[in-house]
Amino acid sequence: MKTLRIAAVGGISALALASVQAHADDTVRIGVIGPTSGVFSFFGEQQRMGVELAIEEVGDRINGHNVEVEFYDSQGDPEVTVDRLRAMEDRDDIDIVVGPVLGSTGMAGLEWASGSGMPTVISYSAPEDITMRNRVDNVVRAGWTGAQPMFAFGEYVVEELGHTEIVMVGQDYSFPYNQIGGFLKSFCAAGGESVERIWHPTGTDDYSSILATLPEGDAVLYNGAGSDGLAFFQQYHDFGIHERMPLIGGSNFYAVGDLPQMGDDAIGGVSALQYVEGLETDNFLRFRDAFWEMHGEDTMPLAPSEHGYVAFHMAIDAVEVAGTTEREPVIAALRETDMPDAPRGPFHLDEYGNPVQNIYIYEVQERDGRLVNVPVETYENVSQFGPFDPEEYMANDPDSRNFPPGDCSDPFYD
Amino acid sequence: MKREAWIILLLIAGLAVWPLIAGDYAVSRTNRAMIYALLALSFSVLAGRLGWFSLCQTTFAGISGYVIAILGVRYGWPTGAVIPLAILISVGFAVVFGLLTVRARRVSFLMLTLALGQMIYALSFQWVDVTGGYNGIPGIRLPSFLGIDFGDTRVLYAMLATVTVGIFMAVHRVYRSQYGLLLLGIQENEERMRALGHPVHLARFTAFVMAAAIASVAGVFLVFDMGIMSPAPLSLNQAVLVLTAAVLGGYRTIWGPALGAAVLIMLQTGVAQYTDRHMMVIGAVLVLCILLMPRGLSEFPWKSLVHRFRRSSASG
Repeated sequence: MKTLRIAAVGGISALALASVQAHADDTVRIGVIGPTSGVFSFFGEQQRMGVELAIEEVGDRINGHNVEVEFYDSQGDPEVTVDRLRAMEDRDDIDIVVGPVLGSTGMAGLEWASGSGMPTVISYSAPEDITMRNRVDNVVRAGWTGAQPMFAFGEYVVEELGHTEIVMVGQDYSFPYNQIGGFLKSFCAAGGESVERIWHPTGTDDYSSILATLPEGDAVLYNGAGSDGLAFFQQYHDFGIHERMPLIGGSNFYAVGDLPQMGDDAIGGVSALQYVEGLETDNFLRFRDAFWEMHGEDTMPLAPSEHGYVAFHMAIDAVEVAGTTEREPVIAALRETDMPDAPRGPFHLDEYGNPVQNIYIYEVQERDGRLVNVPVETYENVSQFGPFDPEEYMANDPDSRNFPPGDCSDPFYD
Repeated sequence: MKREAWIILLLIAGLAVWPLIAGDYAVSRTNRAMIYALLALSFSVLAGRLGWFSLCQTTFAGISGYVIAILGVRYGWPTGAVIPLAILISVGFAVVFGLLTVRARRVSFLMLTLALGQMIYALSFQWVDVTGGYNGIPGIRLPSFLGIDFGDTRVLYAMLATVTVGIFMAVHRVYRSQYGLLLLGIQENEERMRALGHPVHLARFTAFVMAAAIASVAGVFLVFDMGIMSPAPLSLNQAVLVLTAAVLGGYRTIWGPALGAAVLIMLQTGVAQYTDRHMMVIGAVLVLCILLMPRGLSEFPWKSLVHRFRRSSASG
């Protein structure tokens, strides 16, 4: 019993010692957090690869500051995220945070950052309230809100594809709610008629009950991603429904990593995002080739990569502009971010801290023997509020399972 | 008895000195360890005394967390009113769950608590209007009062340490009381206890509610420590983490759960600093521990190990 106590006390003191590492002042220390283990590790690994490329470009010195980077694993869990963020501030003396990547970890990160005042560049995490109803000065975003690309998509689906009745099947959680919310708001404004929403729990692998009773419409929109999306995609084609209703997707459906498994059936699939790997601008090609050189041509840099890459550059640029690692000037510089040469295309931050950027409507095509999302239409300067007034937009309830209404004749849309 | 008093005094002294010498992060990790110690204790009360392995103790913590988040943040009720209400509501759930599970035995009890826990988890995920769904409800803070910021890591530590030590000592007394012996008796031979005229179901039911009350207190601290309430603390992962802490430390003893939680949190903190494959390292350590000490760290015959080592080194 005594031995044990000694062991426990010894262990705890070791922990305390580890917590008092000193760091020199002329070093800028950046902490990168993302889910590099667990079910969402694909996103975390993509971000890490993007950040590694940015680190190589920046080198280890800027403006007389040494650059040091630490990676942290959020495990996709809000509790772990808060813990790692505390470690960054209290133990590791981090100056700027890049990440988190996922929705709930982003909200947890925001909550922590609002208490701590740490300059934070959220990368892929997309809950709109991070830069809307719960926004704080020291948190900006390099990525997007769930609704943002869908504003453009809703309009496109009505005006270019001519679909006015949509059946949506989606994963039952906040991100898909926000995606279809943005879609509906512009879809109805452009003359759409209705979107019928069918939600299924995440982790569903059998969609036969949904597919067998699928209502009729002009098209089916699958609002989700990952293994659920893949299973839905395959069963949708097995049922042969694609012959009467085309399958279009939410932003992550065709865009993040499932294309090789989907196979040729995916060709012609349409969706929207602020980044596509089929871009052919110089800025993008330079980014992609450097990425391939570093990580091999088998790995396509996808949106989480680019957002990690850009977020890291935003952090470094802010230190360069501010000329110091002190929080106030760094935060001020972050909020003024203007990136005319980002791989995804030019963007700047709005006054709420979210990018105003191009949204690409993309289509799955085959190119050099591999399936690629190719942009077919560009909507420039789309903000997180789409075409709507920020104050009015934020006065509405946040999107939920059944808000905004699915019927475009609802008085909400007047 | 005397030695025990010394140990308790030493422990309290250690807990009092700790925030003075440790950095912020180490203190916040200790907070987390104490929260998990409470959860593991809640698990151990049922597992060690009744042979009931529950997978819904974290659910009670989650319920009290959500009550605080929903009433405190969404409706702006004062913290002083919300905290007792959270514990009360959580205990209310425990009463209902207890009525459902009181007749269940080992595996069926495990399955029942699993199902009930996952139901609440699913509810927290999908009832977005109330719980905020996957994104959760942010902005949960303890207020400042009389010039003390109760949300400060060290103030939280002081409160948490007091409550944790208090609860552990109370449970210790319960274990040694007649009631505690009755619970052990029920685990050994339920029929005999019933034949002796003991209210078996009532005893089990109260133990279940008591365990849930401990978990709900842990939940209060957890939600203020995190600042955001999301479904994650109600997930099966968390339930398994608590089970792991209890089994690692030894759920039959009073201080096993605390030891298990402390070791687990130390492992997580220490290993995650050096590698992304920390789950593998921790898993390997756990497998070793459980193979070598099936009754947990606290019940491993350390003394005989030392004796044997001395003897062999003397003879060699």
